[in-house]
Amino acid sequence: MSQIPNLDNSPLNLKSLREQSQRELVNILNNIRGKKCLVIDPKLSGSLSLIIKSTILKENGADLRHLSAEPVDTDCTKVVYLVRSEFSLMRFICSHIHNDTSKGLQREYYVYFVPRREVVCEKVLEEENVHNLVTIGEYPLYMVPLDEDVLSFELDLANKECLVDGNTSSLWHIAKAIHKLESSFGVITYVRAKGKASVRVADILNRMQAEEPVNTSDMVMPGINTLILIDREVDMVTPMCSQLTYEGLLDEPSLIDLVQFLHINNGAVELDPSIMGAQQEGKKIKVPLNSSDKLFKEIRDLNFEVVAQVLRQKATSMKQDYTEMTTTNQTVSELKDFVKKLNSLPEMTRHINLAQHLSTFTSKQSFLSRLDMEQTLIEAQSYEICVDYIEELIHKQEPLVSVLRLLILFSITNSGLPKRNFDHLRRELLHSYGFEHIAMLNNLEKAGLLKKQENKSNWLTIKRTLQLVVEDTDTANPNDIAYVFSGYAPLSIRLVQQAVRSGWRPMEEILKLLPGPHSETKRGGFSSSPSFDTLHGASAAVDRVADGRRSLVLVVFIGGVTFAEISALRFLSAQETMAYDLIIGTTKIVSGNTLTETFMEKVG
Amino acid sequence: MSNVSVAAEWQLLADRYYRKPELYPMRWKHIDLSRNKVACAPFGGPIALIRDDSKIVQLYAESALRKLRIFNSAGVLLSETVWKHPGGRLIGMSWTEDQTLICIVQDGTIYRYNVHGECLEPNFSMGKDCFEQNVVDCVFWGNGVVCLTEAGKLFCVPDFKDIKPCKLAEIGVGVEELPHCMAVIEPQYTVSGNVEVLLGVGSGFVIVDEDEVRFIDEEKVGGAVQKIAVSHNGRFLACFMHDGRFLVLNTEFINFTNYQCESALPPEQMAWCGLDSVLLYWDDVLLMVGPSGDSVSYFNDEPVIFIPECDGVRVLSNTSMEFVQRVPDSTVSIFKIGSTSPASLLFDALDHFDRRSAKADENLRLIRSSLPEAVEACIDAAGHEFDVSHQRTLLRAASYGQAFCSNFKRDHIQEMCKTLRVLNAVRDPEIGIPLSIEQYKLLSAPVLVGRLINAHQHLLALRISEYVGLNQEVVVMHWACAKITASLAIPDAALLEILLDKLKLCKGMSYAAVAAHADRSGRRRLAAMLVDHEPHSSKQVPLLLSIAEEETALVKATESGDTDLVYLVLFHIWQKSSALEFFGTIQARPLARDLFIAYARYYKHEFLKDFFLSTGQLQEVALLLWKESWEIGKNSMASKGSPLHGPRIKLIEKAHDLFSETKEHNFESKAAEEHAKLLRIQHELEVSTKQPIFVDSSISDTIRTCIALGNHRAAMKVKTEFKVSEKRWYWLKVFALATIRDWDALEKFSKEKRPPNGFRPFVEACIDAAEKGEALKYIPKLADPGERAEAYARIGMAKEAADAASQAKDGELLGRLKLSFAQNTAASSIFDTLRDRLSFPGVS
Repeated sequence: MSQIPNLDNSPLNLKSLREQSQRELVNILNNIRGKKCLVIDPKLSGSLSLIIKSTILKENGADLRHLSAEPVDTDCTKVVYLVRSEFSLMRFICSHIHNDTSKGLQREYYVYFVPRREVVCEKVLEEENVHNLVTIGEYPLYMVPLDEDVLSFELDLANKECLVDGNTSSLWHIAKAIHKLESSFGVITYVRAKGKASVRVADILNRMQAEEPVNTSDMVMPGINTLILIDREVDMVTPMCSQLTYEGLLDEPSLIDLVQFLHINNGAVELDPSIMGAQQEGKKIKVPLNSSDKLFKEIRDLNFEVVAQVLRQKATSMKQDYTEMTTTNQTVSELKDFVKKLNSLPEMTRHINLAQHLSTFTSKQSFLSRLDMEQTLIEAQSYEICVDYIEELIHKQEPLVSVLRLLILFSITNSGLPKRNFDHLRRELLHSYGFEHIAMLNNLEKAGLLKKQENKSNWLTIKRTLQLVVEDTDTANPNDIAYVFSGYAPLSIRLVQQAVRSGWRPMEEILKLLPGPHSETKRGGFSSSPSFDTLHGASAAVDRVADGRRSLVLVVFIGGVTFAEISALRFLSAQETMAYDLIIGTTKIVSGNTLTETFMEKVG
Repeated sequence: MSNVSVAAEWQLLADRYYRKPELYPMRWKHIDLSRNKVACAPFGGPIALIRDDSKIVQLYAESALRKLRIFNSAGVLLSETVWKHPGGRLIGMSWTEDQTLICIVQDGTIYRYNVHGECLEPNFSMGKDCFEQNVVDCVFWGNGVVCLTEAGKLFCVPDFKDIKPCKLAEIGVGVEELPHCMAVIEPQYTVSGNVEVLLGVGSGFVIVDEDEVRFIDEEKVGGAVQKIAVSHNGRFLACFMHDGRFLVLNTEFINFTNYQCESALPPEQMAWCGLDSVLLYWDDVLLMVGPSGDSVSYFNDEPVIFIPECDGVRVLSNTSMEFVQRVPDSTVSIFKIGSTSPASLLFDALDHFDRRSAKADENLRLIRSSLPEAVEACIDAAGHEFDVSHQRTLLRAASYGQAFCSNFKRDHIQEMCKTLRVLNAVRDPEIGIPLSIEQYKLLSAPVLVGRLINAHQHLLALRISEYVGLNQEVVVMHWACAKITASLAIPDAALLEILLDKLKLCKGMSYAAVAAHADRSGRRRLAAMLVDHEPHSSKQVPLLLSIAEEETALVKATESGDTDLVYLVLFHIWQKSSALEFFGTIQARPLARDLFIAYARYYKHEFLKDFFLSTGQLQEVALLLWKESWEIGKNSMASKGSPLHGPRIKLIEKAHDLFSETKEHNFESKAAEEHAKLLRIQHELEVSTKQPIFVDSSISDTIRTCIALGNHRAAMKVKTEFKVSEKRWYWLKVFALATIRDWDALEKFSKEKRPPNGFRPFVEACIDAAEKGEALKYIPKLADPGERAEAYARIGMAKEAADAASQAKDGELLGRLKLSFAQNTAASSIFDTLRDRLSFPGVS
């Protein structure tokens, strides 16, 4: 099974997008004659693995390397760098070229920027006196389809850059990506944004539309009806909570145990062979995880408690079939059915192994007490218990990231920490983990994730109004999105739920309590078509497009989205009363860990 | 119109008919071509005239100063200018493909003019050799020229778009006198891709190109060549010989035609008319020689100038412009006397139809089967007519015939009408571009529009673009630029109004380009106003920078949200201004400031410090210094041991001082102080233990390491030095003792006093180290029965766990414990009985 997801069932023609990206890359290679060494920015190579098979690159005369500080070791006289516009990568390239020149090697250098060339990077090349030696090009890869309903803009630092550095280049990138979608699928009629970055993206998007209007005449129907932009800053609570869906849990590494490092990366997870029941030790096994795996598609969004049951049922029914097979006489067609079922056996084994591996951790006391603590923090009632718990984690020198997650959760729901605790916990952190973390504390403070309490928290109001805590959640037959966190309904998804149903207007009051402004715009193009004006109204059924397909809502998370949230959205989309298909766009799939790690600066 | 009258004007040359319709009576007055040097552009282009200074002419009531005058093809004056250039006689003058007039004077200087008589700067020189030797002759082609100097050397400019004169091969010895005649084969027709020059020398000729000279054998041509003309496709040469013979050769010098002229005097002009006849001109005789040696002569009492075109020759005289052309086949088939071709009959039928004669029907019946081709022929013939009434009649005939055709492509007539409308519009004497349909097709509509624009016929150009579906933006843009140039007197605001009025005609207009022109014309304010209307920030911002509107550029770039543009502006300002000015500018603009900081963090560390200092952000400087201290640490790691921490500590102390400048950074200030202290202690520890394992570990780690090394005093010292809380101390010490598995010490420690956070640390440490026996020492001491139950469960003691859990009265806990003992049936039954006894509500 391939890591490249199968997009046949996508509500939007994402396949054409991916094919275009494939073509563009192949064209770049073909335009450089002869054999060449393609040096890929390691982060980018993950994204590329979702677009194109490396064999295709090799077929086009490219020798593949990863970009690092080490000089490129190749016989090729042509070196093609494929990089994101990032300073540190420019440094590598410069040092490679200097290294070659000092050895008297003459090579042709090509630098292809993804998704576009930027003055600031060229400036670096200029300062290092290599810009005369390189040919600069662009590979306009603005987004990558991760699955049939998920698009990633592959901006893993977007959140930190916006919140800490004030660098908003990712916002332009996002707007550009959405604009590109619009030029393939038509102008999006409604745009709803919540959060500072979201409103800015909506604004840039409108500018782009004014500068380069999407030609609407040759499109009969807009592919995407509504765009909902949600800023991660609006809801930093959800990602800090431990995800409890199957897929989410697979993406929660050090929560469970740092040694068994699990983390979903570009739609695949790398495992020790022992987990998969293999005998010999050795190379890690890469297991692709996307909807091409039918079983995974069925269970990925379920609460992990339920997954074991589902798997058990499947196994039992298969066993039953097998017994019938051996005891009674079967017709040929029954035999055929049975063999068909057998085909899904490897998938079953794989997921049973994975689930078993996970369950050894989820039943641990430390895991459960952590979940308890998260619940307590969300309830925001027993203040002292939380301080003590976190303090103890610090004293025990538990992994820093997981401590920080709780600390952030604590700070947000509490609207900051009283100065005494704030200084105390920070001091304990520096004492336990080292003074080099001062930069990180500074970052978190700048981002407003860990701060001194200045005014009273309105979290309780938010929690109550949006019904974030749902009692009696039946994880097996959920009737609310709260099942993904066993009782906590993710704030971000509650907002989306509201925005889809009725727009922002009925909830202005609550929106004001959340960080950042909000906006709602209706854009030109298809306003004359009556069926689209009903979006505000309750008559959802009318919104179904003539051919029976539901119209589409694109939900974009600026700063990343977690698997649990995606599951919650899929749950919403699957509801009978829902009039829309949902497609998710995100700067990157994140977990509390990866999100927190972006704030941890490396010093020394 | 009568058929006869049309054909009566034709001349038969061998089996082909030629005609010489008048295109225009010349509008000019008192022009005598013989007194002037004349340059006529092909494709109905303009005519440049200047008094010929190589001839002795009588001056009438006119200034002695020479004037360069430019007319259109109908003799309407477009512009004039006084010729005052030094450099000797004007030797050659010709129009390039983009309608620039090239004038080459004796000393090899090239002057360039546009159609408006404006001299284009700069002038070029053909080079030192030409300057010294004097140019005596030049031959032009499309976009190039070859000059011959008095010394017989050849110089060439291959392309006037990029004037780089080069020297051609020297003809060398054996050739004393100057050539009799000269002609070029255009680069596009030669094998080498470079121009080849044909020279009539001695009693034969030579071919010269950049690298070599080829002599052509005398016997191939048989005498001295006096005049050469190269055909349009570059494959045939027409030569006039010393003995009055006229030859046509191909480029392999195979003779095709041999014609004996009456005079041995070489003709003044010789030009190819199409590909199958050549026109020769002597004083008042015009001779047309056909391929098989036939000839026709016309008599002229005026001097004429030949203007070769792709499909004929225009003949300019003092009073008229005529076009010598082979009569197109379609026209012949219709109008030839006695023609019975279908087209002719169709044309005739229309005539009958107009006269309401029944013969119309008879004619149609006759040609029924070949009606479509008859219609085609009429359409085609209409296209070749210059006379509008002829066009109309022919098209009517076509349209009449079409009505009886069932499956005829109807858009042919429409297309022809469209083309003819364009042609008739530009043929208007005021515009004066007498294009034939062939020429128009070769020239193409965009080029025609381009020429109209150059001639400032913007309205017509706009209409034509609109009519044939070209992009009007080009026209409007050029108009706007021309308008700016021409409107020096109009104030900026008023001019802006005028411009905007037209610019908004086109969507996606590049205001930036117009603004750039305004700036070049010295109207910076207008440029600023225009650029404000540019919707593309990516075009707007660079332009704003070029007109020194950095502030606006920064605002616009920021608004656009495109950080790349902001960087562009940022670097621009950075380069242009002093550090302080720069800091001032960006400090007020958050996005620019933040982007600067992001860049400077990587590449301009010191400069960034200056920035923070100048803006009073001392804590940022402190952070930078603090970070540097680790950099130093990393570098000095290489030089193991040694008193390396001095500079580091100094940096950290400096950071500490900076932090303490402001009250808000009390915490950071203290932390820095502690860090410095820690480094000193760690350094001492490394010296005393001779183990480089302390520096850059945290306080907690340092304590743990000390204990693990058995150095309890040092650990205690660190503890007191940094006021480590008892709680943390207990965790650290317990874990450290468990790491070195010193269980006795651990037990001793547990008994020192009542642990501040209970016995949990002890239990956890033992369980983690898988020391069940040790763990059992502490588990009973745990205060909370729930915790106790968990701990028992973790070491697999179900019974004890169950007891503790029942003590805790926690049903959920029991359930969970049961699960973890699922494999053990005995154990799980214990839980079941217990849970039944408890029977908490809500427990399943």
